[in-house]
Amino acid sequence: MKIMLACALGMSTSILVEKMKEEAKKQGKDYKIWAVDQSLIEEELGNFDVLLLGPQIQHTLRKVKKIVGDQARVAVINPVDYGRGDAASILKFAEKLMEEGE
Amino acid sequence: MTMSFKDKFTDVMGAIAEKVDDNKYLNSIKTTFTIYMPFIVIGSFALLFNVILTSDKTGLAKFEPFKFLKVIEPAFTAINFATMNTMALAIVFILGMTLGKRNKQNEIICGLVALMSYITVIPQSIKSVVDGVENLIKGLPASGTDASGLFIGMILTILVIEFFTKLTSIDILKIKMPASVPAAITTSFNTLIPLFITLITVSVLSRIFVNVTGLYLNEAIYKVLQSPLESVFQSPGGILFIVFISQLFWLLGIHGGLIVSPIRNPLAIAALAANIAAVEKGLQPTEPITLGFWVTFVVPGGAGLTLCLVIANLIASKREDHRAISKTALIPGIFGISEPVVFGLPLILNPTFAIPFTLGSVVSTAIALLAVEIGFITPNVVDVPFGVPLGISAFLGFGINGVIVQLIILVVGVLFYLPFVLLSNRQYAKEQLERNE
Repeated sequence: MKIMLACALGMSTSILVEKMKEEAKKQGKDYKIWAVDQSLIEEELGNFDVLLLGPQIQHTLRKVKKIVGDQARVAVINPVDYGRGDAASILKFAEKLMEEGE
Repeated sequence: MTMSFKDKFTDVMGAIAEKVDDNKYLNSIKTTFTIYMPFIVIGSFALLFNVILTSDKTGLAKFEPFKFLKVIEPAFTAINFATMNTMALAIVFILGMTLGKRNKQNEIICGLVALMSYITVIPQSIKSVVDGVENLIKGLPASGTDASGLFIGMILTILVIEFFTKLTSIDILKIKMPASVPAAITTSFNTLIPLFITLITVSVLSRIFVNVTGLYLNEAIYKVLQSPLESVFQSPGGILFIVFISQLFWLLGIHGGLIVSPIRNPLAIAALAANIAAVEKGLQPTEPITLGFWVTFVVPGGAGLTLCLVIANLIASKREDHRAISKTALIPGIFGISEPVVFGLPLILNPTFAIPFTLGSVVSTAIALLAVEIGFITPNVVDVPFGVPLGISAFLGFGINGVIVQLIILVVGVLFYLPFVLLSNRQYAKEQLERNE
């Protein structure tokens, strides 16, 4: 599964990316996880299965869903999980999104 | 049933944020400046290299063994010129591409038609006076291509791309080709007429404007629009208002800096360019509000001075959960990242911390403006990008005095948050007591 995170400048999500990579490795899962600035979502279209938005750009959800269409699942990360860097919970969230999509 | 103030506030601010983000023009302007930002940083660093290395007055070249450095001064000046004095051309091109893409047009064609249109609008000659004789030399004056052209450039590009897009959708303007002609050739012919009409329209109208008013369009728009906006943005009232609005969005967990960036970034970049131009003329820079100022003094340690809350929590909080989140948020905070505290504590619509969270950055901005006012720091010519850690950001942009101002801001911030941490302790103790009863 390819999970892309997006926020403003991709800085705060990149902290999370490292934690999620570690967590996925611990669980023995081969996921590709990375973060981008929100303006680059369109460029990455087709590269990701799941797109998770940082809660600070939750107001862009409707627009992003329109851009992504049915090419991937899109959702906003739970703010508290995001703030506390709860990688396990966010990974589970991404997996659930993926299952629902299929 | 009436909505509570909190719900209404959330709804209204959320709707505004969505509108701003969804607006094609504001969003494209935001993207354009994000793309161009590295060049601004490089341009201002080129100037810094001149000041500390190649200048024989202030730099290393002052000393005999390093005199040779003087030779490469023009090279750094050239980088600065390329990134600062022609930025309107670059912005127009990128914005044209970005808008063209959103209009589902050929991006490069749109970037180019925006650029060409812009060049037809600005003067194409430079006046030179030699021995009292006026000569017109062909060329683009820097006054037409520098930051003073940003607003006319953005407005013109929006009009041009919309006009061009409209023209490409009109069937009569399409040249009919036999089916055997390759598609690429048909497409290139089909853009030819709309391009021609676009350029003629822009060029003729702008020429009429020059004849009627005696001013070029770029000069006129600078005078009536950009310059007044710059003055408001640079005034304490203007910038404090923008910072406050930005923090109101943050109170809802929405990235406030992102929301205000379509108006903030062009004006902040124009200010940096003006400062650089002043220094090159040997004058004092006069425009305090730049992106470097924003990074260093408006949001040091995170928007709303969240690092100060982190420190205040570590000093005085009796809540284990607050202490734990503050420990993880400490390092990101030094790099200006506030999200762990904002969403982890959380600060979103948190009534206990709402006052310092919305006003912290307002206070820090006021402190820094005061420092500029009394001449303790000078407006910067080196823009530090977001993500440069505390101390270093202040030093690169504002020197050692900048570091002192940043430190004062952080101390004031901690003192501002401390009473609210104590309040939070009391609220928590009361909650625990009620739970145990």
